[in-house]
Amino acid sequence: MTAISRRAFLAGASALAAMPLAASASASASASPLRIAAVDWAMLETALALGIVPVAATELVHYRRWVVTPEMPDGVADLGLRGAPNLEVLVRSAPGLILSSHFYAGIRHRLARIAPVVDSTINMPGGNPYRRALEETAELGERLGTPDTARELIGRTEDAMDALAGRFGPRSVLLVSLGDARHVRTFGGDSLFGSVLERLGLVNAWRTATRFRATATVGLERLAEMPDATLVVLDPVPPGVWPALADSAIWQALPSVRDGRVVRLDAVNPFGGLPAARRFAELLARA
Amino acid sequence: MPEADSMSQVLFYYSTLPRIAMACLCGAALGLSGALLQRVLRNPIAEPSTLGISAGAQLALGATTIYAPGLLDLSREGVALAGGLAAMLLVLALSWRQGLRPVSVVLAGLVVGLTCGALSATLIQLNGEYLISLFIWGGGSLSQQGWGSVLALAPRLALGILAAALLLRPLTVLGLDDTAARSLGVALHATRLGILLLSVWLAASVVSLVGIIGFVGLAAPAFVRLAGARSPLWSPVMGAALLLLADTLTGTVPILGDDLVPTGAMTALLGGPMLLWMLPRLHALSGPADRGTGSGAGGRRSARPWLLIAALAAVLPLLCWVVLAAGAGDDFRELLPWRWPRLVAALAAGAMLGASGTVLQRLTGNPMASPEVLGISSGAGLGLAVLVLSVAAPGRLEQLGATTLGAALALAVMLLLARRGGFAPERMLLAGVALAATCGAALTVIMSSGNPRAFQLLGWLTGSTYSVEAPDALLAAGFAVIPLLLVAPLAARWLEILPLGETAARGLGIAIAPVRLCLILLAAVLSAAATLIVGPLSFAGLMAPHLARLIGLHRPLPQLAGAVLIGALLMGLSDWLSRSIAFPYQLPVGLFATLIGGPYLMWLLARPPGGRQGR
Repeated sequence: MTAISRRAFLAGASALAAMPLAASASASASASPLRIAAVDWAMLETALALGIVPVAATELVHYRRWVVTPEMPDGVADLGLRGAPNLEVLVRSAPGLILSSHFYAGIRHRLARIAPVVDSTINMPGGNPYRRALEETAELGERLGTPDTARELIGRTEDAMDALAGRFGPRSVLLVSLGDARHVRTFGGDSLFGSVLERLGLVNAWRTATRFRATATVGLERLAEMPDATLVVLDPVPPGVWPALADSAIWQALPSVRDGRVVRLDAVNPFGGLPAARRFAELLARA
Repeated sequence: MPEADSMSQVLFYYSTLPRIAMACLCGAALGLSGALLQRVLRNPIAEPSTLGISAGAQLALGATTIYAPGLLDLSREGVALAGGLAAMLLVLALSWRQGLRPVSVVLAGLVVGLTCGALSATLIQLNGEYLISLFIWGGGSLSQQGWGSVLALAPRLALGILAAALLLRPLTVLGLDDTAARSLGVALHATRLGILLLSVWLAASVVSLVGIIGFVGLAAPAFVRLAGARSPLWSPVMGAALLLLADTLTGTVPILGDDLVPTGAMTALLGGPMLLWMLPRLHALSGPADRGTGSGAGGRRSARPWLLIAALAAVLPLLCWVVLAAGAGDDFRELLPWRWPRLVAALAAGAMLGASGTVLQRLTGNPMASPEVLGISSGAGLGLAVLVLSVAAPGRLEQLGATTLGAALALAVMLLLARRGGFAPERMLLAGVALAATCGAALTVIMSSGNPRAFQLLGWLTGSTYSVEAPDALLAAGFAVIPLLLVAPLAARWLEILPLGETAARGLGIAIAPVRLCLILLAAVLSAAATLIVGPLSFAGLMAPHLARLIGLHRPLPQLAGAVLIGALLMGLSDWLSRSIAFPYQLPVGLFATLIGGPYLMWLLARPPGGRQGR
């Protein structure tokens, strides 16, 4: 394995100096002793929070726009779509370790041919993503040689959660992401956001089991089933939807909307790790 | 006026009632639209979605959402209408030179629809995480939160019905053939155009308000015919009843737990099997034969077909070199193991689709037949969908098994249906469309659930050689080469004789049913294997045989060889473009096959028929 990696590294560093992508990849290599490539975003943000800058990662444009923190420095090579990471670019960026997740089970053995693979299981169905994110941050810290930073990150996040938990009281909250003016997605207990609500002592108004992110899409009228909840609308809201809601008789008649219990949150990665959990909690506290 | 305090009353007045009204209105509009289209095009499978209208409207909405969201605030309805109209006008322009003849129009509609669909799928894939609305529109949900949509659609429908009533006499005359109609003094082009525009307007209105609701436009007129009614004005009534029934079932039958099931998908889920069931009962279904329009669009017969084939074969290694070496530089050896499997698989898939398409088109005597249209590919897709939803992290082998099983099941259904009808061409085509729509609907249900695993599916659906590895590639190559070499010479003789008609074939000592069965099996196995690699939307199976014919390869064996080579070239080129054009972002290979082949086919369709018209 080491022989292949070294050869790949040399090949990548020399032959690709002409390509802007490779040039940037080798530039960031000097920043970190371990060459990391991240295909999974939960792993990616955890690594960044641990102070490790990867040589390559997926969908950088969308990451900067929708994940926001921790910030993505310049000089990281773009691996393309999360659904189909570009393996050629991955080979050329010659990583020593690949951060992946169970979403990539189908291509795991191919990733393993390029470098050793670590899998995230934060967003597995039926689990508690927040608790798993805490554990995984510690594990990743060990693996990346930054156990102290990881402990510190975990400690800071838990402290922040404790501090924020005191502020809310046992309120009922309904998390929605607007699909269009007629449909929403909501987040259940086994989503990352759901598990953070639980950690903060808030009550998640959506009780039905979910598929570790949202209950998929339901009609807007279903929101009337939870009249006491505060509606938390997550960005991004698709274009044209807010104006349409102003004209929607049902939306206007929802008890939460009538009583002004509606807040909007900036974008957070719903499939994230510990940094996303903290960002979500802080945005919620500020709203 | 309901009391504002009582939420259940608000829901009843602003959600339940308008939803019922909307189901009736949309069903009626689609039923009327389908009836008019079928009458004027004299084609029993014409409806808004087979003519590209719905796909055009959806693409316009998707593109606007991403690139000009301001327009959506202005008028979402207008955007969808513009898209649907543009697609239909393109279809009309393409078939104008053929005198808007039925087969040409539907063929052009299919090409335009598939191209729009491929573009929409790519938009979803690149931005899908944040474009849930696109999924919902694709599924056609009737969920309402006020009376706005009802008030918008009702007057349009009323106008449509009025216009249709006025056009009734010319419509009836159009059911005759062109000469008879002309001698009765009907302005053929003007009347057809007027009716077409009316149908598009109705269909685009529905798409703009609730999204794509497939199959009502197809099923309603068919049921009306089955019931023995002659006037197309019964179709709106039947359409309203069908959609209301489908929507009621959607609300009461929990399919995916709490997930929303779009009514549009439900109609196709119900309508598909219903149409399959009544197939044996459809008698005077096909209009005047009008053969040879699509298949003979421009083609001169080549004097030396094998020289052409040799030229095509010579291009192949050249393409391979370009694909394998482009941009690799000194890393050629390093990158080769990552590149060759996908190239080989793409070539094999293209070859298989080309062969399968040729056999199917020859067999059914229908220029629109192809594995994509006959539902075999969709069956494979459904197999994969079920696997992806039921197993947390399926491996390669499981995926292969599931797709094969799905394709085989779809094939079995096809064979069962076709056997009852004695393998008559129109029946098979109709059965195929129904099957494809049913599988497609099931996929839409899964997609619009917003389940993250749906994204995995989407990647495969749009066709990706991404997941192909060396063993898969070698297997695919073997699959492509062995049956082609063994069966082609035999099949070619059959393919030459079958189109001569049953009597002629019997006279030459061919038992029609077993021969057809053999050919169908061959086509199905080839397309199932290809679908595993490039997804069900590739379009190569429809295109390659056409292109072969259009460059002058008319006899069965040369056409088969040409289609195999063209299919392979098309897919090889697509594979290269798909991974290099938006580097490092990899686009689906099936999309590029569509984007390359679609416009070329459109151009050929629009070209004046040069020289001697093909058979």
